[in-house]
Amino acid sequence: MADRVVLTIGTRKGVFVAEAAKPRRRFVLRGPFGSGVPVYTTLIDTRGAPRLYASSCNPFFGMKLLRSTDLGKTFKETKSAPAFPKDDGRALANIWSLEVGDGRKELWCGVEPASLFRSHDGGDSWEIVPGISNHEHARKWQPGAGGLCLHTIVRDGGRVHLGISTGGHYLSEDGGQTYRASNQGVGAGFAPDPYPEFGQCVHKIARHEGAPGRLYMQNHGGWADWTGPGGPRPDIGVLRSDDSGRSWRSIARGLPSDFGFPIVVHPHDADIVYVMPLEPATRTCPGGAPAVWRSENGGGSWSRVASGLPKRQTYFTVQRDAMTIDRLESPALYFGTTTGQLWMGRDGGERFDCLFDSLPPIHNLKVAVV
Amino acid sequence: MGATPGTTIHVFGPLRAYCAGASRLSVSAHTLRALLADLEQSEPDLYRNVCDETGTLRHHLNVFVNSDNVRDLDGVDTTLRPGDVVTFLPAVSGG
Repeated sequence: MADRVVLTIGTRKGVFVAEAAKPRRRFVLRGPFGSGVPVYTTLIDTRGAPRLYASSCNPFFGMKLLRSTDLGKTFKETKSAPAFPKDDGRALANIWSLEVGDGRKELWCGVEPASLFRSHDGGDSWEIVPGISNHEHARKWQPGAGGLCLHTIVRDGGRVHLGISTGGHYLSEDGGQTYRASNQGVGAGFAPDPYPEFGQCVHKIARHEGAPGRLYMQNHGGWADWTGPGGPRPDIGVLRSDDSGRSWRSIARGLPSDFGFPIVVHPHDADIVYVMPLEPATRTCPGGAPAVWRSENGGGSWSRVASGLPKRQTYFTVQRDAMTIDRLESPALYFGTTTGQLWMGRDGGERFDCLFDSLPPIHNLKVAVV
Repeated sequence: MGATPGTTIHVFGPLRAYCAGASRLSVSAHTLRALLADLEQSEPDLYRNVCDETGTLRHHLNVFVNSDNVRDLDGVDTTLRPGDVVTFLPAVSGG
């Protein structure tokens, strides 16, 4: 019976694991594992006996992948990490995303420079997915501030959605073999053409299992006041698709800023979606007062959710993978900050409490009930 | 007459897990490039910590032949002589 809430917390100085009983009154923290090394992605694989994964992005000795089979009491390196073929000319610079695939042991992994790998044995061996890694656009993608990363993998049956910064949204409709840029309605603020075929700086994509065809996207917004070639492009930051990612429309109206990194969907209601608006120039909380913004009608309108959060003089950033929500009947929303706080908002964000306030800067947060 | 001494690789502590715990390895090679090629075959796990997929020495790693950084010598074409000690050390960086 699933009765434990487990959080994996990828930080600049290793991965931590927090665990609590279902009421979530007290979380026990373990770690850091892979101590001192940045962790940009984690995964809680609940197919069968739970397995926890964490990338370990060692700037000195290269990329590793860590795996735990005892709920984060210990981690060991897998037998190998993704690696480009020797004659490819590219070298792995970072591991940005991990998702489960089919069966019990398939894993998908997005990396920097933007490419996709797949494992059929739980992460011990990896093969490159050429349909996107060697896509005709691949050599034209440009790195964003965080690097040229394939940071989002969303699987929906035979469809696969990839988020690449800066490459945009790529869609596969053949189970992940071939991909095409699918960015109709996805704006770019940093190019004269506001709606290029590809090259957008997508920040995150999310979907709800019960809403076929619907997707939400946090894109790189913050271009309402641009006066250069192509003119201003307001509200390009928060988007929705209702046709499986073939086209996108803005749902940013009503937010204090359309810039942000994460976007999260409520596990039991596809109309409830959360974003964390940030000042586009500083990438910190608007006015120094952090708030999650929640829509309960699929992005038609937004309300501020900030009970329990600091009201002033707070300037953290919440990164693209640092907000998540659990799947309990009344789910809790969690986010981690670049200043090392981990916040939990009970009842879908109605009331926030700080679970840990002095962790290393948080890159990634995942939660599961196991 | 004893055997001609080879080059000794001094293995930095965290890297010993990738070569069965060895603190020193002995290799016969005339250049650093040849030493790395030997390492790729004989100790592939250790090699992957030292070089990336393209065969390039990892950027934040310094390689010393005895006391000299190979950046100040001939890089991977630095000549090795019997008795030399090669050391891979992480650069001073980060925060």
